Amino acid sequence: MTTNLELRDVRKSYSGLVAVDGVSLAVPEGSIFGLLGPNGSGKTSTIRMIMDITAPDSGEIRLFGQPRRREDLRRVGYLPEERGLYPKMTVMDQLVFLGEIRGLKRRELVPEIVRWLERVQLGGRGASKVEELSKGNQQKVQLIGTVLHKPDLLILDEPFSGLDPLNQELFRELLVEYREQGKSVILSTHGMELAERLCDSICLISKGRAILTGELRAIKRQLGGNSYRLVGDKDIEESLERLRALPEIEQAVVQDGVAKLLLRPEADGADLLRRIVGFVRVHEFRSVEPELEQIFLKAVRDAA
Amino acid sequence: MRLETIFVVAKREYLQRIRSKGFWIGTLILPIFIGSVTVLPTLFATKQSTRETLVVVDETGKVATELAAQPQEKDGKKSKSEFVFQLEPPGADRTAQRAALDRRVLAGTVDAWLWIGRDALTSGEVEYHAKSVSKVFSQDALEDMISASVQRIRLRAAGYDPDLVGKLSQDVDLKTERVSAEGSKKEVAIAGAVFGYVLFFMLYVTLAIWGQQVMQGVLEEKSSRVIEVIVSAVQPFELMMGKLTGICLVGLTQFVIWLTTFAVLSLPGIVAAIATLPEGVTLPTLTPLMVLNFAFLFVLGFFIFSTFYAAIGASFNSMQEAQQVAGVAITFLVIPVFLMLRIINDPSSTFAVVMSLIPIFTPLLMTLRIALEMPPLWQILLGYALTIGFIWCAVWVCARIYRVGILMYGKKPTFQELWKWMRYSG
Repeated sequence: MTTNLELRDVRKSYSGLVAVDGVSLAVPEGSIFGLLGPNGSGKTSTIRMIMDITAPDSGEIRLFGQPRRREDLRRVGYLPEERGLYPKMTVMDQLVFLGEIRGLKRRELVPEIVRWLERVQLGGRGASKVEELSKGNQQKVQLIGTVLHKPDLLILDEPFSGLDPLNQELFRELLVEYREQGKSVILSTHGMELAERLCDSICLISKGRAILTGELRAIKRQLGGNSYRLVGDKDIEESLERLRALPEIEQAVVQDGVAKLLLRPEADGADLLRRIVGFVRVHEFRSVEPELEQIFLKAVRDAA
Repeated sequence: MRLETIFVVAKREYLQRIRSKGFWIGTLILPIFIGSVTVLPTLFATKQSTRETLVVVDETGKVATELAAQPQEKDGKKSKSEFVFQLEPPGADRTAQRAALDRRVLAGTVDAWLWIGRDALTSGEVEYHAKSVSKVFSQDALEDMISASVQRIRLRAAGYDPDLVGKLSQDVDLKTERVSAEGSKKEVAIAGAVFGYVLFFMLYVTLAIWGQQVMQGVLEEKSSRVIEVIVSAVQPFELMMGKLTGICLVGLTQFVIWLTTFAVLSLPGIVAAIATLPEGVTLPTLTPLMVLNFAFLFVLGFFIFSTFYAAIGASFNSMQEAQQVAGVAITFLVIPVFLMLRIINDPSSTFAVVMSLIPIFTPLLMTLRIALEMPPLWQILLGYALTIGFIWCAVWVCARIYRVGILMYGKKPTFQELWKWMRYSG
């Protein structure tokens, strides 16, 4: 497997406070990689080290199959969580500037920018000042700025925050398109639903440590068998507290009238069913693949 | 460090600012202001001559006739203020006479009236009544004429010949000449000091304005959160140097526009048109070598102060917070203002030489010295070398603070934290 990015035992601390504690991960070519974790878990610190904004205290960062060099970062597109644009600049000047600092020339940038603006329904807005655009449109401009130089690796830190569903779909399309072109995307987020829909591989970070890394399908398979779907004949929410009190159950959530149960590793599904039928008239009880959110919550709790 | 990246950042900073209306308003306002406060009034005041008709009522019976006999010219040239005196004897009813004179002034048949009281020769007081009492130039001329008349009467009464006394007490005129490599030139004494003063403040203002602009620019990049996008492609040092270079060029553009205005205004032809100078006397002029030195001193001054301003901007989150610390940088800009008068008085004294070789003062004080009297080449070169060395150290320190500060949000850093940032390696 060829990797576009590899981190080997990377550590970083600020004033004695450990932000990233020996994180190792590999992002394969042609994949969307989810860097997942709660707020303050060390995702942004990890990304900043990848982008050479801060230096790791120890460990190795490899880009495109070799130790990272500054010039390799020109093949990376980065959309930080804390993002903004120069409000007084025109959209065109802004994007030309973002391209030029990555070594591209104005004459090659302008037609590309026009094409992108058309694609995101901002055709004809090149001469507008950034501050004249709506927040959603500003985010589109930011996205163009991130992909303008056709990077081989795209790093997006919380890209969907503050986006309306239409723009979310636009971003999603772009990520899928990137994967199809054999390029890689790192998606840092704490939004599990979207990550589950998009990611091929994940790395779960908690308190600076990578607590779960690998291919999402493999992780689900590995944790499968302990996750169950339960459908009862009345509002299952009424029975939620009783379900949670059962010794076999580690986690129980109800969504749209369906209970999703995560069992303790040693628990047996048949034993559990025998207990449940005592207070719920069961219509459906079957083993399912665990959802990413369940995996996330369990892993974070286990790590704590 | 990639030069092309610094160039791209500098280009953005330069074009963004040079295209703004604010830059052109700020740049043109000074020449317009100088023009309107110096050239125009001089032009009107010196080219227009006034003629006033005055009624003179003289209770002493001596001053009015002496006054009417005074020559209305100076150094063989006709005075700019010309007076026509109508002598009238004091009436029996002084109050009625005064009221009648007021009416004539209001009706416009005369411009003003003078009342020379009985004790005018001892008290030295004469009344002047007119619709406007703000005709400074003509009132000065009139005062001089009345004073001369009164003095002549007093001298005669004391048994002296006023004409002889005038000859014997004639002032000595110091003919000032500036010695330079191009040869001696007759120059108005105060003009040299004013020339140095104007250039000094021109540099002072541009350094203060554009240093603040650097700080504001860095703070805006932080507050608009654009900074992280930029530093993912540009190293903080490249960003800082690009920003400083771009804004320095904007400041230099403004400084050169001001220098050019000043150079044009000080051309002999222009000066002759706006002010009356004695024959063969000139005002100081800007030579190309001086312009080159001033431009270079501007660049040095800009980099000294702006590197600090960049570091301050990066360390704080708002203009209010940053301004408190920026006061320290401004202090170093203000100290030369206090040293200025002593240096104008003796630009080649040991004090002036030593002070102008202290790097943080060199840009302003060397500018002043060059404007007053070209210092020896070794002093200029030593000043440049020391300042460049100082800038190198300042850039080293400030770039380290800048690199960490631009990505820090939240609380104000303490001095211990700034010290830590400076030593932080990655």
